[in-house]
Amino acid sequence: MVLRFADTSVGYHGVAVLTHVDLSLEAGQCLALAGPNGAGKSTLIKAVLGLTEVLAGTAEVFGRTPARSREQCGYVPQVGDLDPDFPVTAAQVVLMGRYRRIGWWRPTRATDRRAVTEALDRVGLADEAGRRFGLLSGGQRQRVLLARALAAEPELLLLDEPFNGVDVVSQEAILSVLRELTRSGTALLLSTHDLALARDVADLVCLINGRQWAFGPPGEVLTADQLRSAYGGHAIDLADGRTVLVEP
Amino acid sequence: MILTVPFMARAMAELALLALICGPVGVFVFARRLSFVSDALTHTVFPGVVIGFLAGGVEGLVVGALVAGLLTAVVLTLLTRGGALSDDASTAVVLTAMFSIGVVLVSRQSSYTSDLTSFLFGRLLTVTPRQIAETAVLAAVILVMLAIAARPLLFRTFDPAAAAAAGYRTFWLDLWLNVIVALVVVAAVRAVGTILVVALLIIPAAAARLITARLAAMAVIGTVLILLAGYGGLWISWTASVDYGISLTSASAVVLLLVLAYLLLLPLGRLSTVRRSSLSHRGTPPAPKGSPHELVG
Repeated sequence: MVLRFADTSVGYHGVAVLTHVDLSLEAGQCLALAGPNGAGKSTLIKAVLGLTEVLAGTAEVFGRTPARSREQCGYVPQVGDLDPDFPVTAAQVVLMGRYRRIGWWRPTRATDRRAVTEALDRVGLADEAGRRFGLLSGGQRQRVLLARALAAEPELLLLDEPFNGVDVVSQEAILSVLRELTRSGTALLLSTHDLALARDVADLVCLINGRQWAFGPPGEVLTADQLRSAYGGHAIDLADGRTVLVEP
Repeated sequence: MILTVPFMARAMAELALLALICGPVGVFVFARRLSFVSDALTHTVFPGVVIGFLAGGVEGLVVGALVAGLLTAVVLTLLTRGGALSDDASTAVVLTAMFSIGVVLVSRQSSYTSDLTSFLFGRLLTVTPRQIAETAVLAAVILVMLAIAARPLLFRTFDPAAAAAAGYRTFWLDLWLNVIVALVVVAAVRAVGTILVVALLIIPAAAARLITARLAAMAVIGTVLILLAGYGGLWISWTASVDYGISLTSASAVVLLLVLAYLLLLPLGRLSTVRRSSLSHRGTPPAPKGSPHELVG
């Protein structure tokens, strides 16, 4: 079992942001966290990394407390949070994924450099290794961050809104890497507010908004009733069986 | 050659040591946007310098600076905890409070004006061999501390969330860097004074960033700039006083030359910014490799 949350509440400084989380994730599965902005998606991802407080219930990652399992986890943050003026190249960013393996002051080894090249190659950016991170497009930057997480060879990969502001080419590149990862047994946890995408890529969906509203296969979770309760009454069923959300 | 004059040679040796540490440390101060924090550090070291001087003379000065510097590093790390560098107000309160304490202490001295001047602006031309040796030791400690933590510091600076996710403790990394900056201030305080240290830390890195986007190159260019400005500043102050009878503080001349270098490089930085924004306005992908933009930006 990769993840097991049982009636868990998480938050910061003793204040709960997200309550009643009940979910589990096995190796090779993809779990999508769906919910509106401010629902607590990033908070839940940080809880898996042991960066938020568990205020109630159980939170286990690889059978241990979250903070003790960080070495098995990879994290892809939202690309918009990073300073595009920062003087680093794409390859330097990917190498950061190897820092824990390299250690504090030891020089980089050939295996680390090879891992960087391979990771960039997997996301289709081998030619951009020497380019400054900030000069890449939003989608390419997101792929570099994915490559950085891959370079650490994680067993559980956490992605915070990986498709936000990402062009179609990069989205396809990211999706194909994610499919390869699940096939090879890596577990994925990604947050998204794109419900159609969640339906397409995920084996499991966790619908949250301040608390968990539903957890299970996409077909059971992304129904009009569930969405209406989570989003507050703005979901409409279409004749073809799909559900759309309408802004209030 | 001004360097055949022993006290000028000693001044240059001291500046060279400071260049060696301020170049690389400045890159992190600049990248971490810690300019204001370093400025605060230079001011809070001031009362330590005064107390150290009152208690133990010139020899006590470094000890006082060291204690005040390390104390401030801890306090500032606590104040700016959680990545909130926006806590400018509390930093400013610490800065002004400590600086005032220093001024109150020093104003009780009979040699008030001359003491104040030397604490604020340093005495570059009266550097002793012993001082150079002490600076060399501090420089070695600083460079080792920086080398040990360079990777985590870079990771934390670029992407604090991912660094924390990878298991790095950002609080300790922030404290580590603040202690490094405090040690730089301590190393430089007798030669260039508490006020001008910040110029050595911030201007070279900012100027280097205008012509390169490579971290290692920034560190090297920063060091070279301080060396050039150091020699130039010493030469100008020597020429001004010996040939023209104008008394000119050497440390100030060095800093003014650094500012001049920054101003001269500014158009290059502007050029790359304009190119970058015109590219994004046209909605085209970034310039291909080897384009003029890549060369400047």
